[in-house]
Amino acid sequence: MDLHELLFSLSESSCITGEGKAADIILNRAGEYSDKAFKDALGNIIVPVSDEREGKPNILLEAHMDEIGFVVQTIDDDGFLHVGEVGGPDMRVLLGSEVTVFGKEPLFGVFCSKPPHLSSKEEYKKVPSVEDLAVDIGFGHDKAAEKVSPGDFVTLRRKPADMPDGMITGKALDNRAGAAAVLRCLDLCAGKVGCGLTAAFTLGEELGCRGAVTAAFSTAPTHAVVTDVSFGYTPDAPREKCGDMGKGPMIGVSPVISRGMSDMLVKLANEKGIPYQIEVMGGSTGTNADPVSVSRGGVATGLVSIPLRYMHTAAEAVYVSDVENTARLMAEAVKEIGGFGNVRNV
Amino acid sequence: MSVMFEEFKELCLLPGVSGNEKPVSDYIESKLSQIPGVEYKTDPLGSIIVHKKGKSAPETKLLVSAHMDEVGFIINSVGEEGFLKFTPVGGIDPRVVLGRRVIISGHTGIIGTKAVHLQKADERKQAPDFDDLLIDIGAKSKEDALKYVKPGDTASFDSDFVEFGGGCVKSKAIDDRIGCAILLSLLRQPLEYSIEATFVVQEEIGTRGAKAAAFTVGADAAVVLEATTASDIAGVEEGKKVCRLGQGPVISFMDRLTIYDRGLYNLAFEAAKASEIPCQPKLAVAGGNDAGAVHLSKKGVKTLALSLPCRYLHSPSCVIKYEDAENTLRLLKELCRIIGSKPC
Repeated sequence: MDLHELLFSLSESSCITGEGKAADIILNRAGEYSDKAFKDALGNIIVPVSDEREGKPNILLEAHMDEIGFVVQTIDDDGFLHVGEVGGPDMRVLLGSEVTVFGKEPLFGVFCSKPPHLSSKEEYKKVPSVEDLAVDIGFGHDKAAEKVSPGDFVTLRRKPADMPDGMITGKALDNRAGAAAVLRCLDLCAGKVGCGLTAAFTLGEELGCRGAVTAAFSTAPTHAVVTDVSFGYTPDAPREKCGDMGKGPMIGVSPVISRGMSDMLVKLANEKGIPYQIEVMGGSTGTNADPVSVSRGGVATGLVSIPLRYMHTAAEAVYVSDVENTARLMAEAVKEIGGFGNVRNV
Repeated sequence: MSVMFEEFKELCLLPGVSGNEKPVSDYIESKLSQIPGVEYKTDPLGSIIVHKKGKSAPETKLLVSAHMDEVGFIINSVGEEGFLKFTPVGGIDPRVVLGRRVIISGHTGIIGTKAVHLQKADERKQAPDFDDLLIDIGAKSKEDALKYVKPGDTASFDSDFVEFGGGCVKSKAIDDRIGCAILLSLLRQPLEYSIEATFVVQEEIGTRGAKAAAFTVGADAAVVLEATTASDIAGVEEGKKVCRLGQGPVISFMDRLTIYDRGLYNLAFEAAKASEIPCQPKLAVAGGNDAGAVHLSKKGVKTLALSLPCRYLHSPSCVIKYEDAENTLRLLKELCRIIGSKPC
């Protein structure tokens, strides 16, 4: 599997509600590991890889495949689109940002706002809110209304790129990086799974971890590993809240996550020589691990996060090596749990 | 599409931040070398000075000028952790810089700050100062970063050339590569009267190349080709839209650096009307361009600015309507003929 190529194609393509090229790519790739992959009632992609076996654990690997974006509310008299947020984009980067509007066909657009020479000095420094912005698609009202309707979704537009030394940058690496890691993990443990295994690529995480609720319910796992992204260090961020880029997956430790799972992941990383970091949180993790761990009667859940810079902008950046090491660690966990018996949820 | 469109696209994609215009001047010189009847040379600052032979010697020596440089950034220093401190070159709106990708000496960099989730409520509402921003090229240390970039390197926006909407184009550097493309196309055409042309450097940092080039040329009259702010966008009241995409070249009566020659201003509208070319006045006193330097050259030069209406100027996502460029070329050719035909 060419992980770099997979990351690029997932980053460039889009998915907010389950329609979209990114979902198509995931469903397509999942087909290599399961002929029973399907979309559930909410649009989550569920990939049964290995059947449940009596007396053995049933594992769920989960990554959200939705991205932050916007939805068209109105088209004004000049053909500009007024939108609402879907999820929490970083408002400070929106002005002048390029977007794709998923109307009757995908259309190019630019976020615009009053130019500086028409703004007062105070206005000029203020970050525009989504009500102050509009999307310019280069059409007048009539043509715009033909091609776009209220309710159409909008995502950021950016072609991924390589930076020197193995870091890549693009939009939606939150959480295409996680989704790619899960697919790569399936690649690594193909044929070596001794218990039930399902991968789920879910929606609505950016709106409050919604899709994971139903995906976990239908899968009914005993153990789960959730993959997402977390904060990669930049000099202006509090060091203690970030992981380092390129230093491996961040293993989550929190009252919400199974301590047994966290310890097992650390043990495996050490044994197998996989670089890793620890990410400690005091309660909710802000990821799908939160709802998954209390699904049905409870699930022993672990969380592995890929360090990422510039979250919720089109300039997100990750190391391909961190994605690979995340996949390796998850594959080791699958092999270990399958032969492990009971991991008690502490 | 047309040769002018192709050249416009190629020009926009070249890196040419003020002071580092060579990729652009090399490209333009390679095109000029293939035009018969055109002589050119480069001045000490890097501007290209051109003489185009027409059918006859002109009654008025006319200069047509466009600038080659674009706004961007220059690297001040490399930090211990491998991040780059930088300064803007030219007047960039600080609100459009965060989250952008740049190219420095062929390498991709990102201008970013900590994730929105880590920001305090008041931090989320303020656009950061340039002093607070860093460029990230993914280097692990200062030593690592210096393998790829060094202080003094310039960074241009990484922004592709996109055709969209009803004949619109988005790109970086439309200001003023569209002017360069129009001027190249003009120089390719047979002209009634000889003209002088300059492709100048360092406009964005104070109309500097034009000052020296205009002195060298010593013209009687000048037309400056530019891109100018169109605010025909959402949220702007009718009266403040300045100029609009799709309504043709913009003629200015005044901006912060120049009061334009009234004779040439009126001539432009008459010529446009006579040839049925759309054109519009710039309905605000705002901005400034090379005319500021040109009209004060030597004993004074009667100067006109002919501009493309352009949205989101000085951002990586400038937007024009391409037909405005075609109409600008048509009007420019007419003006060259009329101005050359009589003393001004």
